[in-house]
Amino acid sequence: MEGIKKFKVDTRELSQKEKVLLDKLIQAVELIAPLYLKQKNPNYLGANFYPADATKKEIERESKKNPAILSSYTFVERDREGKLRAVPYHIKFEKELKKISSLIKEAAQLSSDKKFAKYLKTQAQALLTDNYEKSDILLLKSDAFKINFIAGPFEWYLDELFAKKYAYQAWIGILNKEKTEEARKLVTTALSGQRKILPGSKKINVSKIKARVDKTIVLSGLIAELLISSMNLPRGAKIIKKYGSELTVFEPALRLRFERDYLPIFRKIFDKKFQKIYSLKTLYQGAFYYTLFDEIAHSLIYYKDAEKRLKNFFYVFDEFFASTLGIKLLENLFLKGVISQKELESVLIFYICRNFSLRQLAIKKSDIAFHYQVRAAIAFNFLLKEGVIKVKGGGKAKYIHSLNFTKLSISIDQLSRILEYYLALGNYEEAKQFIKTYSSFDICRK
Amino acid sequence: MSEKRKFYLTKEGLQKIKEDYQKLLKSKKLKPKKEAPPFLHSEEINAEFVSFREDFEYLESRITELEYILKNFELIKIPLEKERNKVHLGATLKVELGDEIDEFTIVGTTEADPANKKISNESPIGRALLGHKVGDTVAIKTETVNHTCKILRIKYK
Repeated sequence: MEGIKKFKVDTRELSQKEKVLLDKLIQAVELIAPLYLKQKNPNYLGANFYPADATKKEIERESKKNPAILSSYTFVERDREGKLRAVPYHIKFEKELKKISSLIKEAAQLSSDKKFAKYLKTQAQALLTDNYEKSDILLLKSDAFKINFIAGPFEWYLDELFAKKYAYQAWIGILNKEKTEEARKLVTTALSGQRKILPGSKKINVSKIKARVDKTIVLSGLIAELLISSMNLPRGAKIIKKYGSELTVFEPALRLRFERDYLPIFRKIFDKKFQKIYSLKTLYQGAFYYTLFDEIAHSLIYYKDAEKRLKNFFYVFDEFFASTLGIKLLENLFLKGVISQKELESVLIFYICRNFSLRQLAIKKSDIAFHYQVRAAIAFNFLLKEGVIKVKGGGKAKYIHSLNFTKLSISIDQLSRILEYYLALGNYEEAKQFIKTYSSFDICRK
Repeated sequence: MSEKRKFYLTKEGLQKIKEDYQKLLKSKKLKPKKEAPPFLHSEEINAEFVSFREDFEYLESRITELEYILKNFELIKIPLEKERNKVHLGATLKVELGDEIDEFTIVGTTEADPANKKISNESPIGRALLGHKVGDTVAIKTETVNHTCKILRIKYK
């Protein structure tokens, strides 16, 4: 089914009542996919969020008179006179959302966990009003629920015109207690220090970061299509500042991506002798650490007004900076003896493989995730600049016989500092120039 | 002949290990010898039986491990006054590591608990910092990454 990804998960730990509840929520999650598909339009940068005949200038001009036009929760349509108007998601999808909302309410009735039941009821209501603050707060204030359920619009990737409109997504999974415990310990250790910020910049401090690892059962919407393996919520600096954020690793999705995407790349680009140094278990652990710390770093740094200053480039810098900062945090954990040398090397190998994977997206000219493509190109430019990898002129890339991890680490550190500068202090024109200089895909096509 | 390994422990760490050891001995006494209770005996592989044996084996190996530590430990002492400007085992440090200001105590491997700011003397950072003074910028060289760490403060309890 388009827009849905299912995973086989052992649900024996759930009671009969919990299984019925789970079925209701699975139905709700699956009903989110059609909403996402209605938002999607690969032939237009603004997807189906804006009329295809509207220019960027026209939308910007009209949004000054009516800010709802650039709200994250509205479609923009033309009225009978041809003027732009904003239609809230909950109005546009009223019928569909009512059905989803009822299923969630029915599930809430079945829960013996009062807090979870309350959270579900609030989620059900949020879908009918486009106001997710209350359910976000309840989620952040609670201990990790046994069943993890999220539904709503909260990812901007589809809107490449303004990076404003959120695409519908949903997921359901069961808490992986062991991995969650491991993740939480790592979060505590990684956040024990106090990060310095760039002079002259203003950072928003995140009150707390919660981590959970799920045995994900269903992903729906954009996350299913991109097979995203982790996510952190909520959106919006104000709420994060006050209540913190929660990151989730979708472990079955990560494992699938590891086996389907990253492992074949690892086997293709690295010399056989080099491959033998790393066991599959260590490589997967590297992928897990990378993914987890990407999200931790994401939750950690919010520079004031970065979104306003960098506009649609904000996400390129934000996403990329998080992954480089995540690696730096992991390097510190290695120095403190928390992770082993081979595990850190696996993280760095994963960084290379991931960028090769994003490069494939770029070559395929995927209609979504523009920032992934730009990011891959920038990463490659830096890897080449520092001599971490070498590419044969005009031909295919050589096998990588061995990685100079020290050089790679320096390259990531340099890149991280540059990206942080733009997030902390940079302006739109500077950011545009940086992207123009370093995001050429010519390198990637060699 | 292989050298005996030394375990460096703080006073609190030693106390905890002694307590853990006594608790484990008690648990062992409660377990009916090495045999599983009769109801767990079966011709086929039985998950509960396997779990019982695994628990028992873990218990025994942990007891042996703690006995070895208790025979080969060295108590971490506060260094003499003139040595307190240097990093020794048991020192609580404030450091600048990359873009972070961090605080932690250097302990022996047995007590290492990075989530609670206790870093092993055998970790790359622990090894590199030992013997250095306040104000020193120490290079931490490893096969994978190189970093520097500036010592801002040294304290002993």
